[in-house]
Amino acid sequence: MKTVVEVVARAGPGGRTVLPVVRASGQLAVRRTGPSTVHLVATAFGPLGGDDVEVSLVVEDGAVLTVRSVAAAIALPARGEPLPSVQRIHASVAGALDVGLEPTVVAARAHHVAVLTAELADGAVLTATEQVLLGRTGEQPGRWTGTTRIERASRPLLHTTVGLGPGAAAWLPPVAPRAYATTVHLGDGESGVGTGEDAVRLPLPGGWVTTAWGAELHRVVAAVESLTDPGARVTA
Amino acid sequence: MTAALLTLADARLPAGGHAHSGGVEQAIAAGIVHDPASLGTFLRRRLATSGAVAAGLAAAAWGADAAGLDGLDVEADARTPSPALRASSRQQGRGLVRVGRRAWPSDTWDALPALPHHAIALGVAAAAGGLAPCDAAQAAAYLSVSGPATAAQRLLAMDPLTVAALTARLAPEIDRVAASTTGQNGDVGRIPAASDPLLDLLAEVHAARKDRFFAS
Repeated sequence: MKTVVEVVARAGPGGRTVLPVVRASGQLAVRRTGPSTVHLVATAFGPLGGDDVEVSLVVEDGAVLTVRSVAAAIALPARGEPLPSVQRIHASVAGALDVGLEPTVVAARAHHVAVLTAELADGAVLTATEQVLLGRTGEQPGRWTGTTRIERASRPLLHTTVGLGPGAAAWLPPVAPRAYATTVHLGDGESGVGTGEDAVRLPLPGGWVTTAWGAELHRVVAAVESLTDPGARVTA
Repeated sequence: MTAALLTLADARLPAGGHAHSGGVEQAIAAGIVHDPASLGTFLRRRLATSGAVAAGLAAAAWGADAAGLDGLDVEADARTPSPALRASSRQQGRGLVRVGRRAWPSDTWDALPALPHHAIALGVAAAAGGLAPCDAAQAAAYLSVSGPATAAQRLLAMDPLTVAALTARLAPEIDRVAASTTGQNGDVGRIPAASDPLLDLLAEVHAARKDRFFAS
């Protein structure tokens, strides 16, 4: 099934953000839950293999947008053809955007592909968090492929693809984690290198990217947060 | 012109690669690499990520003009967020330019930025040496495992025959990685971006150490 979500955030009177476009069709509904916050709400179980979600986020100059979801997404395999489920988020940011969805749990035999592309104007602020768990309790891990490409003024700042799960070329024991989390922040604060146990923070021009991996998602998320400089977080 | 490819991938080419372990020294310290089997896993991991990226960049750099090479330099940085890995790549790039200019004199060297990424210098070296873009990719993929294999052999005092056999048996995977770069068609967005956060972490922990044998 094809799902399309579109949100446009615009600077309104008195420094507030207005949302002239809040649209969704398919397996997601989008609800405004705060002055500058929307939540994505799954209206169907899944995604299933073959499902395609496209999320377009536009944050204009002076506007602020926070995007959350209400529950973890459970990526499930489709019957028949082994197609991946795909989620593409494209962000065009001149103001400040914070995207942090609940974890994606990839069930056994499922393959979920997550793509985040962001184009930032000078002065834009972006925070994007991804949390992944391979397999439900007592289940074999599924497969997850995540690509991030972020450009500022047409210059790429970060372009990485991480493959997790059985069949991914670099997911090999003894380092074959079930849980993975990453946060990238760009815009208002550079941070140096930071290292932890199975966690690393790397500097980017005007920001940083922190990644952690391990057996349990809550520990991995805590590891990302412990390496995240609180002064560099966006307040949306 | 195959002989130029053999020279480019030869460990005896004095381009400075022998000073780098490609993360193996830290992987040994972390207990991840300790025997031939775990070394094989580590090399596969490296080939599939930084090896694939280097192969894609090297093929793209072949025949590129100065503006194209500058653009690829930015693409290489975007795919290499680890400062330690960037520094190691640029050091090896400079080393390759130094010997490549003498070995294969050509104007194309002048189009390179001052401290080029190793993969980009490899692409230019392949062009200057009369090789094809796929040769540049092949050299980059092969070098992503051959250097680390030798480093592991030295650090763990492993049997050289075992390590040589291990590297030789990776040949089909090296070929696959090199061949996968042929569909890029000048689109820099399609250059592989496969990343392994473990290698980033190992590189950064290694760079902070004072008791290391290898530069990276």
